[in-house]
Amino acid sequence: MDKIERLINLTACLLETRKPVPFEQLKETVYRGLSVSENALKRMFERDKDELREMGIDVEAVTTEWGDETGYLIPRDKYYLPHIDLEPDERVALTMVSRLFLSSGTPFSVPAQLALLKLAFEQTAADEVPHVHWVESPRDSELLGDVLDSLMRRKFVTFSYRALGADEPVQREVEPYGLFNKGGAWYFVGMCHLRNDIRCFKLERVSSSIEVNPRNPKTPDFEVPAGFELHNEIDWERPARTRAGIKSRVLFSPRLSFAAATGTSTVVSEKREKDGSLEATFEVLDAGGFVDWVLGFGTDAVIKAPASLKALARARLEGVLAGLEGK
Amino acid sequence: MSAKVDERLNRLLLMVPFLARPQGASVKELCEKFDIDKAVLMQDLATLQMCGVPDYTPADLMDYWIEGGRVHVTMADYFSRPLNLTRQEALSLFVAGRALIRSGVFREQGPLDSALGKIETLLSEESKDRLEEIIDRVEVEMRAYEGTMRGIIDEGLEQGKNLELEYWSYSRDEVTHREVEPLSLICSQGFWYLLGWCHSSEDMRLFRLDRIASIELTDHPVTKKMRESFDLPSVVGEYSPGRKAHQVRLSFAGQQGRRVIEEWPVAQMTENADGTVLVELRTRNLAWLATYLLRFGDAVSILGPKELKKMVEEKARKLLEAYS
Repeated sequence: MDKIERLINLTACLLETRKPVPFEQLKETVYRGLSVSENALKRMFERDKDELREMGIDVEAVTTEWGDETGYLIPRDKYYLPHIDLEPDERVALTMVSRLFLSSGTPFSVPAQLALLKLAFEQTAADEVPHVHWVESPRDSELLGDVLDSLMRRKFVTFSYRALGADEPVQREVEPYGLFNKGGAWYFVGMCHLRNDIRCFKLERVSSSIEVNPRNPKTPDFEVPAGFELHNEIDWERPARTRAGIKSRVLFSPRLSFAAATGTSTVVSEKREKDGSLEATFEVLDAGGFVDWVLGFGTDAVIKAPASLKALARARLEGVLAGLEGK
Repeated sequence: MSAKVDERLNRLLLMVPFLARPQGASVKELCEKFDIDKAVLMQDLATLQMCGVPDYTPADLMDYWIEGGRVHVTMADYFSRPLNLTRQEALSLFVAGRALIRSGVFREQGPLDSALGKIETLLSEESKDRLEEIIDRVEVEMRAYEGTMRGIIDEGLEQGKNLELEYWSYSRDEVTHREVEPLSLICSQGFWYLLGWCHSSEDMRLFRLDRIASIELTDHPVTKKMRESFDLPSVVGEYSPGRKAHQVRLSFAGQQGRRVIEEWPVAQMTENADGTVLVELRTRNLAWLATYLLRFGDAVSILGPKELKKMVEEKARKLLEAYS
């Protein structure tokens, strides 16, 4: 009998029963025919219970009527998905979420799809769902699964990491506090034992597999500090959170004037010139990133103010020219 | 538990309720729903047949039969309803759902919000607490997809009407007019794209939403009707520049070069002993690259082709004039 059959049988037996089933009885039924010692059998049962619990199936230990024996059962009201009334537009919305994540190749894709199958169990007709997809690179997905697992169980992870400026990868041991996706890339953040500080790790720069601490799988290795705020880590490029951004004026050519609204900096005001060009004023938090963005429009966007950002742009352009002449 | 057993157990426990319904479920439907092929389905059914309740006589084991392409199962009353959402499943829906609401794909207090609210009532207090704790620690920042452009694209997709775009082609640095049959919206690497059949280039094209200068709904019904048939991986798959592509060689001061490689997985990177990074790539158009390189300042030098050098020089000089 293979493991999956045993787990299904255990679930069926404890779900169907009205009276708690003592281990003595399970030994003769679900675990019948296994030629291992009593102790090994007991351990196997403990592991099976844990595995079912991981899946959301709670095996409860109950003292039997006479109070002299422990029996087990799976409470039906906890096992079965309760009836849920979803409106058609709510179903479409959920389907869209699951569709989006189905193509994402992240650890969310399969569970989101299964969740939806369950929720749609009583529904007969299919809803029309708009086509939406989310596409991620497949390498991330395996590592992501491990990070997510460690995050949920609060286990530390070990991996080899090559920071952007580093020559060689370095072995790291990290307590993951949070996981996020920014600009299409995945990062996790946590206490780095090597640096003894909270650090951010880009998944792409992980140069090995990620090993989740296998010791004491049921006991968390750490607590997330009470003051930890994931959002502060995500907004790392803000030079000083308390400081307000600087105002910058940029002139866009008529043909790319639409682009003023597409950046990550907020447009404070804009003025359309007679020739169709657009002068937009931005609130800028990350000066370097902003200049990169404006230079990305080539000759179609020019920073007019302030002098500090103009100088930054000029320095980049002069640098490019110097590099061309140098070779 | 190995992911395989975990996954398979979850699938089997969910499959039985579908099979136990009076109408059963068709083989095709099952393969689609669970994303498996027929061979895997048959293995799953064979496993189920070995399972049941004590005393495991033939009358206690689940039994399946296939009739007219539909699969039925008997002796499975205890599995007649699906298992409640697992923590992973609830987490996935909530993390994904919240990211989509924040990015503007769904309205706040709209249907997704209320659906998630209903699902939350399904969870036990304990799982709710654990879920809250984890959700606060997982974040997906999707770029906003909203505004009038969104309304028009949605309408085009829903009504099956072509869209007229004014689009800035970044690779060729041209703004052009096109009529496009909308197929899908795709979020990739942090950006939103419209996938459509472009009637001007007679081919599938991806249009990055933040490069669409203007968009209008036409009254031309879609003619290609490819919405059900296109193959997503092949559309967004690897970029193949073709034989006419330019071979580009760039040298970067270390850190910058590695950043470039993270942005373009198709490029090749070689690290030199002196700390510089050689980046080689093939591209059909040089215009975009010439603009893109401006931001790197003295961290980049162009080894070839000459044409690219000339374009970068021209752009940099012209821009410097505007800055003086």
